This record gives sequence, structure tokens and C-alpha cells, in this order.
Amino acid sequence: MLARGAGAASANPLSPKPAPAPARARAVIQIFCPGGLSHVDSWDWKPELAKRSGQPFDPTGKLQFFASKPGNCQGSYWPFRQHGRCGRWMSDLFPRLAACVDDVAFIHSMQSKSALHGPAMFMANSGFILPGFPSMGAWVTYGLGSESENLPAFVVLPDPRGLPPGGVINWGAGFLPAVHQGTTLNTDPEQPPIADLFPPKNFAGLTPQGEASGRNFLQTLNRQHAAARVGNTELDARIAAYELAARLQLSAPEVTDLRGETDATQRLYDLADEDTGPFGRQCLLARRLVERGVRFVQIYCGAENTTARKIRPNWDSHEDLVRDHGYWGRVLDTGAAALLHDLNARGLLDSTLVICTTEFGRQPGAQGKGRDHNPGAFTAWLAGGGIRGGTAYGTTDELGFQAAEHPAYSYDLHATALHQLGVDHERLSFYHNGVQRRLTDVHGHVIKEILT
Amino acid sequence: MLKRIALSLTLAGIASAAIAAEKPTKASSTDWWSLKPLVRPAVPATANRRLPIANPVDAFICAKLAEKNLQPSPEAEPRVQIRRLYFDLLGLPPTPDEVEAFVRECSLSHSPTFPPAPARAGEQVRKRESVTPAYARLVDKLLASPHYGERWARHWLDVVHYGDTHGYDKDKPRPNAWPYRDYVIRAFNEDRPYARFIQEQVAGDILFPGTRDGVEALGFIAAGPWDFIGHAEVPETKIDGKIARHLDRDDMVANTMQTFNSLTVGCAQCHDHKFDPIPQRDYYRLHAVFAALDRADKKYFADAKLTQRFAELEHQQRTLTAKRTALETKLKTAAGKELESLDQQIEAASKAKGGLRPEYGYHSAISPAQEAAKWVQVDLGRSVVIDRVVLRPCYDDFNKIGAGFGFPVRFKVEAGDDAQLKSGVMSIADKTAADVTNPGTAPQTFKSTGATARFLRITATKLAPRQNDFIFALAELQVFDTTGSNVALKAAVTAPDSIEAAPRWRKTNLTDDIAPGADNSGELVELRAKRDALLAKATDDKTRAELAALAKDLEQVAAELKTFPKPDVVYAGTVHYGTGAFVGTGPAGGKPRVIQVLHRGDVKQPKDEVAAGAPGYLTGLPGEFALPAGHSEGERRAALAKWLSSPDNPLTWRSLVNRVWQYHFGRGLVETPNDFGRMGALPTHPELLDWLAVEFRDSGGSLKKLHKLIVTSATYRQASVAADVRRLTSQSAIGSRQSAIEQSLLTSAATLDSENRLLWRQNRRKLDAEAVRDATLFVAGKLDPKMGGPAFQDFIVEKPEHSPHYEYHLHDPDDPKSHRRSVYRFLVRSQTQPFMTTLDCADPSMQVGKRNESVSALQALALLNNGLMVTMSKHFAAKLDAGGGDLNAKVDRAFREALARAPSAEEKANLTAYARQHGLANACRVLFNLNEFAFVD
Repeated sequence: MLARGAGAASANPLSPKPAPAPARARAVIQIFCPGGLSHVDSWDWKPELAKRSGQPFDPTGKLQFFASKPGNCQGSYWPFRQHGRCGRWMSDLFPRLAACVDDVAFIHSMQSKSALHGPAMFMANSGFILPGFPSMGAWVTYGLGSESENLPAFVVLPDPRGLPPGGVINWGAGFLPAVHQGTTLNTDPEQPPIADLFPPKNFAGLTPQGEASGRNFLQTLNRQHAAARVGNTELDARIAAYELAARLQLSAPEVTDLRGETDATQRLYDLADEDTGPFGRQCLLARRLVERGVRFVQIYCGAENTTARKIRPNWDSHEDLVRDHGYWGRVLDTGAAALLHDLNARGLLDSTLVICTTEFGRQPGAQGKGRDHNPGAFTAWLAGGGIRGGTAYGTTDELGFQAAEHPAYSYDLHATALHQLGVDHERLSFYHNGVQRRLTDVHGHVIKEILT
Repeated sequence: MLKRIALSLTLAGIASAAIAAEKPTKASSTDWWSLKPLVRPAVPATANRRLPIANPVDAFICAKLAEKNLQPSPEAEPRVQIRRLYFDLLGLPPTPDEVEAFVRECSLSHSPTFPPAPARAGEQVRKRESVTPAYARLVDKLLASPHYGERWARHWLDVVHYGDTHGYDKDKPRPNAWPYRDYVIRAFNEDRPYARFIQEQVAGDILFPGTRDGVEALGFIAAGPWDFIGHAEVPETKIDGKIARHLDRDDMVANTMQTFNSLTVGCAQCHDHKFDPIPQRDYYRLHAVFAALDRADKKYFADAKLTQRFAELEHQQRTLTAKRTALETKLKTAAGKELESLDQQIEAASKAKGGLRPEYGYHSAISPAQEAAKWVQVDLGRSVVIDRVVLRPCYDDFNKIGAGFGFPVRFKVEAGDDAQLKSGVMSIADKTAADVTNPGTAPQTFKSTGATARFLRITATKLAPRQNDFIFALAELQVFDTTGSNVALKAAVTAPDSIEAAPRWRKTNLTDDIAPGADNSGELVELRAKRDALLAKATDDKTRAELAALAKDLEQVAAELKTFPKPDVVYAGTVHYGTGAFVGTGPAGGKPRVIQVLHRGDVKQPKDEVAAGAPGYLTGLPGEFALPAGHSEGERRAALAKWLSSPDNPLTWRSLVNRVWQYHFGRGLVETPNDFGRMGALPTHPELLDWLAVEFRDSGGSLKKLHKLIVTSATYRQASVAADVRRLTSQSAIGSRQSAIEQSLLTSAATLDSENRLLWRQNRRKLDAEAVRDATLFVAGKLDPKMGGPAFQDFIVEKPEHSPHYEYHLHDPDDPKSHRRSVYRFLVRSQTQPFMTTLDCADPSMQVGKRNESVSALQALALLNNGLMVTMSKHFAAKLDAGGGDLNAKVDRAFREALARAPSAEEKANLTAYARQHGLANACRVLFNLNEFAFVD
């Protein structure tokens, strides 16, 4: 929000603001797996569940899941093994990520306040199960601005198959000024990276020189107009915005042009693969964005919920978990592991907080060949940015049904992430409709146990 | 840095003093400015005759300025005034002709006092201060324009968070939301008294039964988002279903109280409000007001009794059908595998054989009863000796019927020479005694025993079942004479009724020689007969009787439904008659759900039950409803509506005048329009606020009068530009001592009140997203002024069946259907329109009392490159070309159209040169991107 007549120090609401406290991370890359990633088949080792496979999950018959009655206990569809120096357990669903386990801290006791995709997505992103609240990325750029003048502060890379449940408001600015909303970067190399970056091709046949002269002319007129209206920072800010736009026209295509990346890097991200390539591209773009000073990047690994005949477009595996998690597991494993390796190799991991989460977990009791929604427990993990690798926080009960030790919500994850950025989640607030709003509502504890 | 963050808060336009109240003291106290009764304050007397006092508004404003030794700014130039008024009242720019006419009128009536003299001559000053007739006429003209309602309805829709989709996961469209939007536009245009406007939206069906507005206004209750999955897929018995319904009511409560009373009752969901006197119990009493309602399509008629009966009948129909389906399912289960296999064979045999032509045949009107007689007849033109008659059945996949669609269960074939078939009737076939098994598409041939006749009639005496109704359909009627030629080919067809839905269904299709490929095997007949027999065997007498009774009841219901005209539909807060997980309260008689205080807002911890009531925070207006036992749900809403619209509810009147003030000045007298509680801002001019509230209330709650009062004030008509002030004062009184004093006052104003809270000048305002879009279309000559009706869509929907993808980039910005005013745009919640969102358009997921006004690089890119902007640049250029003249003349007109002024010589020369080099369309694009286009002085 630009000051009106308040003698604003800076016309650009995204100019960088120093972190209020010492920051361990200067950027965030969040990988979001919409649909509900099953913790019991991936990160959360439940030997007791495997043991009870085939026995009734709920002998009382009283429990009701979101869409079904609980079936029998169903152990992980993938065997678990110990990995790394830390010896943490992970399933074979993620062979490449398993090799990164010493960089990763797990929160096994995550819970959501809703078993429905829409509200749970909103909660994971904004701290509220209602639509219309600012997302974490919007809050972060509101608090810290951007280190890059030439790129948006908060960039979103949606799955090329479509938007996640709830749509674009998952990265909306809510009641914060629109400038803080996530900017969608088109991951299709054939398309301009940002909507409206250039005029449509069929318009007036302008050359870059013509565009530049048009802009200069426009700015001349704008400056004359402003000169007759002294002391109005809004007019100056809008003039500055056109300068920023011109820089964005140069820098955005440069970010998405991957030709400068080495073959080794392209192979690392598996860009040529039809299934894993698109997500690999999203991850590589995230690294390039962070390299160039973008504050917050959100990557979606999956699209909306649809009962598809073949593979579901996200992790919502009601009918056939092996089929759907099998597919998406390989996608996430390849891209996320490449991202961690690459950030590490470039010395960026220390200053970049990587978060991988989902909106809720899946039930340890079977739903046919799939699993139903489980808001009672799921796992999120963090890496880099001052996170103590090889650790875990919180536990679930012996079957993975409910969080047991240290139950945690998105509030705690968000509070921890903000803390790493040097921001106290209780102090980052914005007045709206009668309430001093926070990302963490009236909750949230920094999970110190997983910090270095 | 913490200070940094706090600073950005202040920048966001918040009165930091109000927020500083971190520790609530006596939170429950009703001793708070906004809750105090309204008393009309005395208008301050002004000793200084030089001050521009056009009406009491100015007296209040000038009194505050005087406290700080500040002075108001001079009146803005007429060009500035007319552009400001147009955008403020209509959301559109004036045409060049309107501008010039107004400027001319002003100079006639104003001269010689404009530019204003700061002088000694009191008489001159008084003239300047009164409203000129030209300005008053302009205000009246704009307030009478239908575009006024469109502009101000949009503000209202922000506040009530209206949208055209549900939001949340799967974000389904709400195709019947728009009647509420049209109601709001109508109410503003008709200057609906504000008390009635409130009453209609909360309880119009009860307080104004039998009116269209009384029903359509209820769209208010349903305006916000709705969790489709949480309601339609999860029943109220499950925790997630409970949460969804609790939150749904919370939205209704919050929307009502924030909109009409500017208080945030939602804070009392988990505990007593920390800052304002709203105990948790009061919050749940408001829940009880809406406890019978859901958000759903409401079918309605002007007559409320009809509306209710119609809803009951539709519910009966659903219930009976569900019972019948259950019985049939039971039978099918009893018939077991054999039936399953038969059904598969029948389905295979029913498939259309050969290519299916679109001309299906004749189709009677739909009948609610099966035992109705329907006939169709051909005129052979002359008496013919008939050898045989062939009936060719239809094929239609509707309701999975397929082959034999509409073929009557009992019928007869008759011939005669009397067109009425009253005398000399010969029977060719009589199948009225027993049910006929549906023949599929196999032709049915009936030999005649030498009948000679000109007319041939098929009468169905028992119709074919379709869904919950019955029909008679036939693809082709052939009449062969003794030579074997079809004499019915192209014969004239008559029937008492026919649905006439070309090309598929029309009478002439009966003799057009087009019929589905015939399956003569008889296989289908045989299979269907087997199936009937199998089911008959599985049916015991009791079930048979039950089925017959159900069929009879269904017929009765359908017959009564058929007597109704087609109902109108609005998406509204309503007693819902549903099935499945989304039942609503209708089936149980519309009784409100039991509402209990939820400990910590947790649906798993319900405590005491509460009665419906309003909050108790007003000492002069109790929140108790005192409704009799056994009252209806509507009485609760009516009681709340009356409480909200009471003259003794000070919040209601303060809230509204503050909103109107805000839209005229860019900032309210209270800067937090949705919060008059302790977390909100304090009024900058409490006396003026109260004076306006009383004046508004006591003059019948007329918004148009309120607008007129405000926009004719000298305060509103001030210049916004410090430089303007300088120029005006220096022009009129160069070298005078007075001018020097004014100059110094001005300087002190900029220092003492840099944010202009005291209104020593008008605020310059950035056009909102709708005004930018509408003005662009208007200036380009492409704005379609059509009012009302379903929303236009500036996106293409892909994958509508599950989670619709709203693809804005696939929309053609040149599609004239989308060139209507932005208030008619289809508002998608999960995928807000990117161009509008970038321009700070309100997010329909939340109540927006005041929009943000941000400036960003992405906005610049959107205005430079968005398809709509470049398309309209081309149209603007084409319009200028069509106006003729040389490039200089075109550029001159372009300035007048876009900016309501002529260009300076230098501007004209520069833009002409630019247009010569890069084309006129690009020059138009530059104009659309100017700050001068985007801001109103």
C-alpha cells in the first residue's frame, strides 16, 4: 500500500525491508502437494500398522471418514528403510529424497482443521479454513519486500495440468494490497512467462524500439502531469511502476530461458522426461528465481481433484493409491531431490528455506485400494535455511491415525518459517474489518527443536 | 524493523491511535461513541463570511479546519468537477460534448466570480459559494441516470461479497445469483428508502410478501462463498458437515452485522468479544436467526403462497421418486443376475441401428398422467383405399430410453372421411385393452380390411413413461394403398398438442420418410417381455400395491405442478428442500436448527441452547425479540430486520452515511467502514457524522438526497491539487496580501495535515478496476449499455463437469457480448479475473468495505498489454478515424474523449508525431496508460 501524502520513504511497496531479527533464510521455496499426500506410505514409519494389516481398523464401527467407513488396517504400500547418517526411516516411494535425509527435518505431527480439500488448502496456505485470507507468500513479501527489483517478490509455479483445489486464492493477497499476491509464472516454455508481459503478437506490429519510445513518451507526459500536481506520491509511484515493468520485461524471459543451464543440470532435473520433466522444470525455475532475489516461490506438485479414469491429477488417492502415489511419488522425488542437491551445490541451501507440505494426510485404514482423507495427521518437512537436518519433531499414534506427541498445525509451520526469515509471527499483522490479522491467527509456536 | 512493519500498517491507512488500544479496558462497556444514541448536533456557526459554506456539511468541515487555522481550497475547475462527478456517480467519463456544454454553462452562470476571488467583496464570495444552477442540474441528471445504480450497486456488492460461483474446491457456478445483483441496481436507481432496503435483504419474503424484490433481495443472505463439498457431500451428522454449516451461518451473521452495523461480531465465536460489548451468547443468538436457512436456488412466484406450495410439491416429488427408486432397486436385487444380464442385452439391442437422423419425429406435449389420451392425425388429401398402416417408433437416448422412445403403451388406429373422426369411423387396430410391450424401433404393421378413408388417426390411451411424466412420440406414420405406395408421405399432420422443437421434434417429421434404422428382429420385444415377466414374478402383491400407489401419487403431484407457470429462480438464503447429504430444513417443515453456544467455537463442544435475538449492545434498543412459542423461522429474520432498520439503531445510520462519504472522498469520516468498534478508527468529524446520520434517517433514508447534499457541498467541490490552488489564487489576486496569507496557510495545511484528514482539499483518486475497464470501453466507443440479466463471461470454461477451469486467456476480448459494464461480469471466486484483480478489484471471498489502492509493475503491464486494452486501443483509433479530419484533429478529439480536455499545443504536436510514427492505435494506448486517465483530480 502506498502512502498517501505520508511522505513515503519509498514509492515501491516491494522494496526490501531489513528483517527485524537475525534471519537464517532470505528466501523460501515451498513445494505443495495438493490432494493429501499419505504420510504412512512415505515419511512416517508405522511398523505396527504393517503388523496389523488386514485387521479391522475400527472394531467399534463408530468412526466415519470423509467419504467412507474405515476398512481394514493397511500397512505402507512401499517398504521402509533407514537412510543417511541420521538413520531416519523413509519408504521406497522416494529413493532420491531418501539420499537427502540428513538435510531434512520432519514434522510428523501436523494436523488440519478440515478434512475437505478446499478449507484444508486454505488453512495450509493462509492459516484459515475460510477463503479470502492472505497466503504465507503474500505475508512474507508484505513484511520483507523483495530483494529483486526486476522480478515479482512472490512467484507461483502451478502444476501445468491445472490449478489446485480452491484455485488462485491459495496464493492470493486476501486483504493485503494486490501487489503482494503471488504472480503466476507460466512454466510452458512456448508461452510468455508472465501474463500481459508483452502486447499480443497481432497488435500494431511494434518493435522493441517502438515499445521503448512509447514508454518514454508516456512517461514524459506523466511527468508533466505530475509536475503540475506537486506532492503526490501516488503519481510518482505509478511512474516508477512503469519503469519496473520495463525491467520485468527483460528479466522475466531471462529467468525462464533454460538454455544456459548445463546438460548435467538439465539431466539432474530430468527435464526430458514426459512425466517428471514438467515438475523438474518448476523446481529448476524456483532455483533460478531464488538466485535472482525472489523472496518466496511456491511450487505445486499436482492440480485439482478429479476422479480420473487413469491417474488422478493430484495426490488424492481414494481408488488406487499405488497407481496415483506411485506416479506422483516419482515426480516429487525427482524434482525435489534435484532441487536440494542443486541448492546445496550452489551454496544456496543455507539461505533458502525449502518446505514440502500437503493439506492433510491419508487414513491408515483402507478405502478399497486407496485411502481416505486424514486431517488428524500428516507430515511436512523442511530443509536448508537454518533447519537442523536429520531431525524429526512430533509423532503420530502407533497407526498414524492422529498426531500424538506435539500436535502441530499450519500455525506452527508458518511461525517457524517466519522465524527463520527473521520475522516474529506475532508482530507481523494487518488490520482488517475489526481485527489485527496474523498469518497464525491467535496461535503458533516456533518449533525450535528442528532449528540449528 | 518491527517499527518498519508497524509503519507499513500506518501506511495502509489505519488510524494508529485506535490500534494502540492493545489492552482492552472494560471491553464489555457500551460506553463507546458508535453505540451512543443519535442526537442531531447543532450546525457550527461561522463568523468568517469569507468561508465557502454551501450547506451544513461545509460548516462542520470549516469549523474543524479553523481549529487548526486551516482554510479550504478553492473550487475546482468545471472540467475537473464534471469528470469527478461522472466517475463518482456513474463510474463513467463524460463525453466531450457534455464537458463543453457544462463548461459553457458554468462560465455563463459563474462569471465573473470564477476563478474565485479571495477578496474583500463579501457578495462576490457568496455567489461563488452557492451551487450554480448548471452544477445542480448536472447532479440531478446524473442521479437520475440508470448508470448511477450500476455504479453504486458495485460498491454495495463489494461490501456484501457477492459472487457468481460458490468458491472453495470445485468452485461451481451459481447461474441464478444475478437477480440479486439486479435487485441492488434497481433499488439504488429507485432510491429505495434505506430502512426498506435493509428489511428486504434480511426478510423481504416475510415483510413484503408477494413482491419480486422481497424474494430477490434475499440473495444478500446467500451472497458469500459456500462450501459445496462440506454441504453436498458431507451430511450434517458428520463433524466436517457440522463445521461447514456452522461456518456457513457465521458468514450470514458476519455479512449482516458488518454490512448494516459495521461491527465485527465474528470475534465472539470462540469467546466474548475482547474489545466490543458482544458476549459469545449474543453471537449465537444471531446464528439462531438464520438457523433454518441454507444457500440454494429459490424458485418463486409473485404470490408467496404459490412459492411455498410449489416448493412442497417439488419436495413431495423428490421423496416419492426416491421411494419408488428404492422399491425398484429392491425388485432388481430380487430378480438377481438374470435381470442384470437381460438389461445388458436390452441395452445392446436398444442401440440405434444405422445412422440416426436429427429429425426424430412427432412428440406430444408432456403429460403428468399416464392415462391421458393424445392423438396425431394425417390428412391423405383424398379418400384412399388403405391396404395397411405402419407405425415406426422413435429413438432417443433421453433417460436412457433409446429404441421405442415414446411409443404408447395402449393405443388405437382409426380412419374415416370426417376430419373430426366423429362419424363413419373405421377401426384399423385397437390395442387399448392391454399393455403393449415396447417394440423398440421395429415397425408395427396393421392390415386394413379394405377401409377407404381420407383421415387416419393414432390415439394413445396410455402414454409412454419418460421420467416423472408421460408422452406419446412416433417417428413415422406410413399408409400404403393397394398399389403399395405410401400415400401418407408429406401428408399434412394435425395434433392437439406437439412440443415443436425443431429439428428433432415437429409434426411434419411424422411424414418426412425419416425414421431410425429399423430393427426387425423382434429381439427387443422379446427381451422386454421377458424382463416384464421376470419383474412381475419378483414382485409380491404388497410391493405391487405400493408401486401403484406411488405412481398415482406421483401423477397427482405432477398434475398439480403442471398448473404452475414457470417459476423465477434466485440464489438466496432460503429454507432448502433437498436430498442426499444436502437436505436442508425444508423436509422437516422448515424448523430452525437448534443453536447452542459452542465452547471455544468448537462444534464438538456444544453448551447451552440459545433463542434468536439481536445483540444487546444498544441501551435504547433491546436485542430480545420476544417471539411467541412456535413462531416461524421467518419471524426471526423479520425481527432482526426491524431491529437493524430501527431509527433507534444508531450504528445503522452512522454506518451508511460513512460508506457514502467514503466513496465520495476516498476515505470515510470513520476510516474503518466495517468496524465501528474499539479496534476501528475514531471519527475525524464525529458531529458531522451524526448530523448526516440524523439528516439521512429523518429525511426518509434517501440515498439520492444524501449524495446531493454531499456533492453540492463546497467541501466536495474543492480542488484536489495544491498547484491548482496556487495557480488559482495567484491568477485572481496577484500581489495581494491576502494571497500571501493563503499561500502560507496552504503550506501549513500540507504540513499540519498532510494526509488531508480534515479535508482542506479534495482527494485525488485512482480509478477502481471497474471504472478503468468501463471507461476504456466507453472511450473506445464499444461499451454496450444493456442493463441486467445473466452475467457476461470473459472466460471459457473447460472441464465443467468436476472442477471447472475458468480460462480467461482463451476469451476473445473482441467478443461484443463481453463489452458490457463490469458490474455485469461473472465473478468467479477461485479464479478471480487476473486483469481486474491486479487493479485491486474486490475479492468476492471477503467483505470489502474499502478497496486497497496499490500501484505495481504488474498493473502497468496489464494496462499496457492486456488483450482488452490493446483491442480497445484499436477500436478507439478506428472511432477517431471514422470521425474524419487530419491526424491533428484526431489527436485533439482523442484527448477530449479520454481526458475531458483539449491537448496543449505541445502535447498535440508530440502525440501527433508519435501517432504518425507508430500508428494511431498505439497513440490511443498511450492515452489509456496516462496517469491523467487513471486518476480523478
